[in-house]
Parts: sequence; structure tokens; C-alpha cells
Amino acid sequence: MSGHPGQELVRFDGVTLTFPSTQGRDPVEVVRLLDLDIGSGEFVAVIGPSGCGKSTLLSLLAGYLKPSSGRVLFRGIPVLGPGRERMMVFQQPALFPWLTTAENVAYGLKLRANRSNGRNIPETVAAMLRLVQLEGFARHYPSDLSGGMRQRLEIARALAVDPLVLLMDEPLAALDALTRRTMQSEVLEIWEKTRKTILFVTHDIDEAVIMADRIVVMAQRPTFVLEIEEVGLARPRLREDPEVGKVARRLSSLLE
Amino acid sequence: MRGLVLPRSAVRLIGPLTVLITWELTARFGLVNKLLCPPPSKAFADLEVLVSNGYLWKALYASLFRVVCGFALAVTVGVVLGVAMARIRLVNDFFDPLVELLRPISPLALFPLAILWFGIGDGSKIFVIALAASFPVILNTFAGARSIDVNLIRASRSLGASEIEMFKGIVLPASLPYIFTGVRLAWGISLIVIIAAEMIGATVGMGYMVLEAQQTFRTERVFAGIFVIGAIGFATDLGFRSLRRWLLPWYRETDN
Repeated sequence: MSGHPGQELVRFDGVTLTFPSTQGRDPVEVVRLLDLDIGSGEFVAVIGPSGCGKSTLLSLLAGYLKPSSGRVLFRGIPVLGPGRERMMVFQQPALFPWLTTAENVAYGLKLRANRSNGRNIPETVAAMLRLVQLEGFARHYPSDLSGGMRQRLEIARALAVDPLVLLMDEPLAALDALTRRTMQSEVLEIWEKTRKTILFVTHDIDEAVIMADRIVVMAQRPTFVLEIEEVGLARPRLREDPEVGKVARRLSSLLE
Repeated sequence: MRGLVLPRSAVRLIGPLTVLITWELTARFGLVNKLLCPPPSKAFADLEVLVSNGYLWKALYASLFRVVCGFALAVTVGVVLGVAMARIRLVNDFFDPLVELLRPISPLALFPLAILWFGIGDGSKIFVIALAASFPVILNTFAGARSIDVNLIRASRSLGASEIEMFKGIVLPASLPYIFTGVRLAWGISLIVIIAAEMIGATVGMGYMVLEAQQTFRTERVFAGIFVIGAIGFATDLGFRSLRRWLLPWYRETDN
């Protein structure tokens, strides 16, 4: 259930976000007039200097934050709060440490279980663990898993409830360089298999160029869209490819 | 490492055994005053007497009954109050100053009053134990319920958890390790308070037994009582540790 490819799924419509003043401090303008459309099935990366409020973008779409003005539309309807159709994948995996790998994936499914769909939960869990290559770790606790495995588990838990869009907040930033590269191709593979829309925040320009259909370049606080880059290169893309390097250099000059 | 390798539990016995043997020898050879510091073998011999004439069981039963009652009260009140203070601002504003005002007062300072109010029997002891032991439970439960990773809350909201599901499925399990630490501290405090209270005013109990032995100059009985008190503390703490492994199999003390 991914909607029709290319059909508009998300629209930021003149969104601003200002945190009100607290204890004599001035109000903080976090997002200034943000307009952005994301199509169904698209892989969109968001880059920008650290602390520029890239993650704020995801929090707005996830429904954790409300815009001060403007609207965040999901399938044409304003976002009013968190929901299963928009799942977040956090930088530091927010797994439930008291649940095993399989139980973490099942958690969201069990919240909406009834007599007809409850029986399918073990099947869905198994399929999700297979998708992220954790089938041998169903009974492990998150604390027994490596960083990359935890991140894959978080993706599986999010995908289990069949969202329309995955919001990935620097999901690979905490991983070592080698694991990170592997995970990049694994995320792409999952995207190709499931055709979920992905909004992917990163501070790594190369990562954005290798993975995304489009790259949104954000400006320093207050955040606004500096430029949107269409990456027209064929996949798989290699870091060493001069074409990739060219795009990456252009983007990094924008950010300087 | 080669050579003789003892199991860790055996290695951990070396320290206490060394102390006991040194003590026994110095006392026997008259290096210390035998009347003031009898050898441990005499204390163990007296312990046998206390066991066979039933006096130990009577004292132990009286003390443990008071400890268990006071401790159970402290845990119940502490967990409920700690969670309520963490989740409801008004409750926190009401109880926090009271807790902080009462906490530094030695529970034994209130014991003379407690005797007036509840009598020289069990009531006064249960009261001071409950009071003294509730503070670590309140504070740890509060810390646990407050320190929950905001992303765990967000993840479960996105997955569709209601307020009640969130409390049962996230807040409570996330606080459990903290609550458990508070409970363990509360037990230790209960054991300390009961002995002191029974030395101030009681007609039966381990503290009373030790004090009575001191007043009749039976130092070997003083030591016998102290050994039993120490053994109970040691054994129950081991019990708490295995209880935690059983209750919280996912919990790692050195989690990073």
C-alpha cells in the first residue's frame, strides 16, 4: 500500500516554527517559510549544516511538533499528531529494551490486534526480520545487538505497521564507517523491495547523493530550503564515481 | 593465565576467611583482650546455644516481621507516590517539599515519638522503617519515570499506543530497573533501622538481643548477633540480585 508512484504524498505549505520566548529569552525562529512537496515512493534526502533544524522537519511530519503557521499536509489532510502511516526511525534507536527483537517488531501490531489479524502477527514479524536480515536474532534483546543490527531492527519495527512514509533522522550517523556503507545499500534495498516513501535526514553529502532521488539543501537556522537537487544518476551509485563526486562538490559549495 | 584457577565464588571467600582466621588466632594467643574481643569460634559456639534454646528464632522472627511489614509499606507507598509525582505536576508540587524536609531527619529522631504513638511493640518499629525506607523508593521511582527516553514515548505514540497502553507498556517497564534499585536500598535501610530501633526501645528482637548481651557483658553473644545480622543482609542482597536477573532479564548494569 504505497499509493500511486509519483502522486503527491506530503506537502509542507508555508510552514514556520517559532519556539515561544521562555524566561526572558527571545523567541527562537526554527523554521522560516518552508515549502516542499514529496511524491509517493520517492527517496528524498535532506542535508544541511548541523543544528539547522533538519530533524525538525521530520518531527513536524511525524506530528511530534505543530507548525506555528502554515500546514503540513499528508495525503492532502493536515497532520494533527503521530500516526502509523508516518513512522520515524531515530538516530539513536528508540527500541524497547525490555522486549526481544521479535517482540519489538510485534509491539505496534499487537496494539491494533483483533481476532482476524491477530493470528498473522508471527508471520508478519518473521517476514520483517527476514527483510532486515535479523531472522536468527528473534529472541535476543536489543542490548545484545550491534549498532547496525539495532538500526535494522528499528526499521523493521517501523515497517511492520505498513507506513506510507519512513522518516529517517540521521539513521546511520552513529555507526562506524564500514557498517555505515553496508547499511546504506541495505536501506536502498529495503526501499526498492517495499517502495515506501523515504525522507532521509543526513549531514553526509556523499550519503545523500548515493541514496536519494532528490536532495533538499537546507540553510542554517532559521531553516528554509536553499535548493532542491534532482539526482538523475542511475543506481547503484558508487562513491568513487566522478559523476557522484561532481554533484557532491556542488552541494557542498552551496553549504559553505 | 595458567595454573590453578578457582571459581570466582571461591575467590570471593578468601577475604572474609582471612579476616576470620587472623582474628581467631590473635584472640587465642592473647594478642587482644579475650573478654572484649572473643575469638569467632566462641561466637559460633554461642550461636549454637541460641539456636538450640530457640532464643535466636524468637528474636529473628520479631525483627523480620517488623522489617517485612515496614518494607512492604514503604515499597507500596513509594512506588505509587514516585510515579504520581513524576507524572502529575500538582502531586509533585505538593509532596516534593515534604519529602525533602523529612528526608534529612534521622528516622531514629522520630522513634521516641513513634513509641508514644504506636507503643513499644511492633507498631513503632514498622512506622520508622516504613518512613525511612520509603524515601529511596520514592526518589528512584521518580527518577525512573522521569528519565524515560522521549523517543521511546514518541515511537510508541507513532505506533498507535493510547495513554494507558503507554503507561503499561512503556512507562512502567522503563522505570522498573530504577524502582528495583530503590527497593534494594529500602531493604538495606530497613535492616539498619530495625536494629537501631530495637536497641533504643524493645522487649524482643535482634537489636534487643545484642544490646542485652552487651549489658550483661556476653561479648561472644554480641558477635553472634552481629554475624546473624550480617548474614541476613548478605543473603537477602544475593536474593535481590537473582530476583532482578529473573524479573529484568533484559537489563544490563553497564549498558551503553
